[in-house]
Amino acid sequence: MIFPAEDFFADAPRPTPLYAAVASASEANLWTAVNGWTAARVYSSVSGEYETAKSAAALADLGPLARYAVRGKEAAEFLGRLTTAPALSLQVGESARGLMLNDQGYVIDLAEVSRLSDDLFLLTAPTPHARHIALGRRGLDVVAEDISGQVAALGVFGPQTAGVLAAAGLKSASETLAASGVLRGVETAARPVQFGAMPGVELIFPKEEALTIWERIIRRGAGAPIGLDALEILRLEAGGPRPGLDFTPAGKPGASPRTPEEIGLAHLAPLDRGWFNGRRALRHLAGKPRRRLISLSIDAEQSAPGAAVLQDGKPVGRITSCAWSPVRKRVIAFADVDAASHGNDYEISAAGAPEGRIPAKRLETAESGLARVFAGVQGTSTDFRR
Amino acid sequence: MSDPKNPTRAKDGRDKPKESAHRIEGGIDAVVIGAGADGLAAAAYLGKGGLRTVLVGAGPEIGGRIAKREIASGVEGVDGEHLVTALDPDVIAELDLYRHGLEFAARRLDTTYFFEGGDVLRFDGDLAQAALLSLDHDDDREALEIFMSEVLDMAALLRPAFRPFAFPGGGNHQRVLEKAMAGATPEAAARLRRFCLSNADDIIHGRFGDGPLRALLLAETAFRSAAAPNEPFSFLSLLRRYSGEAAGLQGAAAYPKGGAVSVITALRRAAQSAKVDVRAATPVKSILIEGDRVGGVTLADGGQLRAPIIVAAIDAEQAYLTMIGAGMIDIGLERILTARRPEIASARMQIVLKGVAQDDATRRNMMRRLVYAPSPEALAKAFNEARAGRVPQSLVVEAVFPTALDEGAALDKRQVVSVMAHPLPFDAEPDAERREAIRSAILDNIEMFAAGFSGRIEADDLRLAADEAAAAKASPAAYAARPDILRQWALSSAVTGSGDITGFYFCGPEAQIGAGLSCAAGRAAARAALHAYRKGAA
Repeated sequence: MIFPAEDFFADAPRPTPLYAAVASASEANLWTAVNGWTAARVYSSVSGEYETAKSAAALADLGPLARYAVRGKEAAEFLGRLTTAPALSLQVGESARGLMLNDQGYVIDLAEVSRLSDDLFLLTAPTPHARHIALGRRGLDVVAEDISGQVAALGVFGPQTAGVLAAAGLKSASETLAASGVLRGVETAARPVQFGAMPGVELIFPKEEALTIWERIIRRGAGAPIGLDALEILRLEAGGPRPGLDFTPAGKPGASPRTPEEIGLAHLAPLDRGWFNGRRALRHLAGKPRRRLISLSIDAEQSAPGAAVLQDGKPVGRITSCAWSPVRKRVIAFADVDAASHGNDYEISAAGAPEGRIPAKRLETAESGLARVFAGVQGTSTDFRR
Repeated sequence: MSDPKNPTRAKDGRDKPKESAHRIEGGIDAVVIGAGADGLAAAAYLGKGGLRTVLVGAGPEIGGRIAKREIASGVEGVDGEHLVTALDPDVIAELDLYRHGLEFAARRLDTTYFFEGGDVLRFDGDLAQAALLSLDHDDDREALEIFMSEVLDMAALLRPAFRPFAFPGGGNHQRVLEKAMAGATPEAAARLRRFCLSNADDIIHGRFGDGPLRALLLAETAFRSAAAPNEPFSFLSLLRRYSGEAAGLQGAAAYPKGGAVSVITALRRAAQSAKVDVRAATPVKSILIEGDRVGGVTLADGGQLRAPIIVAAIDAEQAYLTMIGAGMIDIGLERILTARRPEIASARMQIVLKGVAQDDATRRNMMRRLVYAPSPEALAKAFNEARAGRVPQSLVVEAVFPTALDEGAALDKRQVVSVMAHPLPFDAEPDAERREAIRSAILDNIEMFAAGFSGRIEADDLRLAADEAAAAKASPAAYAARPDILRQWALSSAVTGSGDITGFYFCGPEAQIGAGLSCAAGRAAARAALHAYRKGAA
């Protein structure tokens, strides 16, 4: 569950179902647009919101993300085809992350799939994919309904997530299994999500009830809202690449397509899982990355996207996104570097620094940890396809 | 002695009724699905290459849509194609089809063209000699001579690009086209570029004194193509037509002894002499995909044939969406397969006529290929009408007399004329009313050049794309007219890319470029399979 890059050129973003609540909570009144929906950048202060997420529970309006209700006898087959998530092996209540690949094996988008019942799934993706979904469901007994905008979606992150769930009246909801219940006569669902690799819960309820439920949670003091800027820090700490920023999704204008391996998410598209769209093409690409997306920790107060990344005095790539991490007391960044670069030591070009360079080290994040473990397992596996 | 590999087959080659069905058969190197011309050719190549090959066809007869059928009492007709214009010469040579019984009753068919105004033109069967015909304008004669030599040269240059590919991810028509251009002289390359990029109307317009020649060439361009001659890239259709070879002559048409079905017979003999196990009435339910490679096929009766190579010579929709399953192919390939909505089709009609021709002129014409070419304006209108779902007034009609061309087919005091008409609206399920409208439109158009013809009809038999598809148990869209060559290239590359499934090769109708009985797709698929098999075995 990661926000895609903002669209700076959207002239009149639509209000999300939670807009009225979000707007009343926003003191900074700083807005941006994501997928053509409104999104708050900051509510009061970035550091305060970040602290809330680390120590209590932060509430994020996830309305701008694309959301589909997938129903039908072959819903699992469809999602197993459309995404790399293991939809077929999900039990009711379980969720899984995955990627959407094109026929050539390049990443179109990230995806998250939850099984709500035997033949009802929820698919969430950073950006909408109406055409890809319409094409992918041909020949399969499945209906995919775009429900973004019809339901309010509230992401809850932080150690006190359970308190928020209780405040919302979803006592039965767990942090690992999706559950649905009736709240004030309204169908409501809670499902585990991951913001990058940071666990959280997403509450989904009809937009008519959006304000009531928001009010209930805020009144009980169970959580405070978090804006996109603070979420960006959490994302960089967790190591989740942001589509449109850290990599351009395949098929978008100007895209230089990336394989899952090249954006550090090979563990989300394992070749020995069942078939998914683009797997056969991916088989030929696997193990031959041209670029790598790595997390860096930079010894500086600030850095900027676009700054050159050097190794042994030679430029090997550039910073794609970065933020100051209050926990690490460093700038942490994503860098797109040449696959031939090696080791943990890099340098960042910067004006004003000695020789114009700042040292940077590779950073182990939750996501890169998963990728490393996966690569280790793959190396020793007896995968017959290799 | 029965075949130990296949106990249900008796020594006479006929299928015994199925015994216990649910069994798994191994020891097979390749399974070819589809017993049409391409399937037979592919199986023959694989068998010749030393692979233990099984050919399974869904229908009760071998041959797919090309089959003998009684069209009137005591008169047998041949469905599918009525002339050979594009049969791959390499297939004839490599499979030794002449030794296996292929014989032409009439080679180098002259063509007589009829026009709206009542004009008549005769073309020599050898297009290089075409200028020797009876033309009024001397200027046109010279212009035609130059034009024909240019077109035949270009068509020959492009011949490799009109062949389907079957190497996954390897074949690329654009690359072949570029190679053809690189090998040509600058003038030829410039001409080729113009021929590829312009529409037929632009190229032909102004080259000849206004008149029947333009109508004739545009009719040949539009015949059996879904692209009207005034649409982009349509000139390629004419180049495709003239790149074909019949009985060793480029751009010619020939009539095989016994009709097109004798090509099937020869192919079947070639397959059997290559020890291919040919099984009719063995419908395939699904293709087994294991990991990313084929494992074999499941038959409709529950049995299984295990093989590392599957060649599908059936329509792409059936092969990919039904047998492999939509859930196992890439979304882009599925989009290409389901995006087509055919609008135009040809119709075939076989007519039994009473009596015999009395005068010499008629008798001579009956030994030729007859084409009715409506005016370019009427042809453009016909395409618009057909796209709108209506039966057009004017049609291009191609007619041959099997009974006059083939002594073996001659009847007593009767004649059979076989007609192909184009363009007609495509219907997946034509009703009786639509059939009657098409029938009378075709008869009206024949009446335009053969007055009094309708009075002699004893019986007629109309065959639409949907009927052919039903006979071959295929999806009707596969038998509709093809769009312009550029789109055919795209479709052909996509389907022969095989969805990147190892061991799967495709040579169905979508793989072929242009209309006509060709077998080039079957050859390409089998050669690709053999190449991969040998590489894997080595």
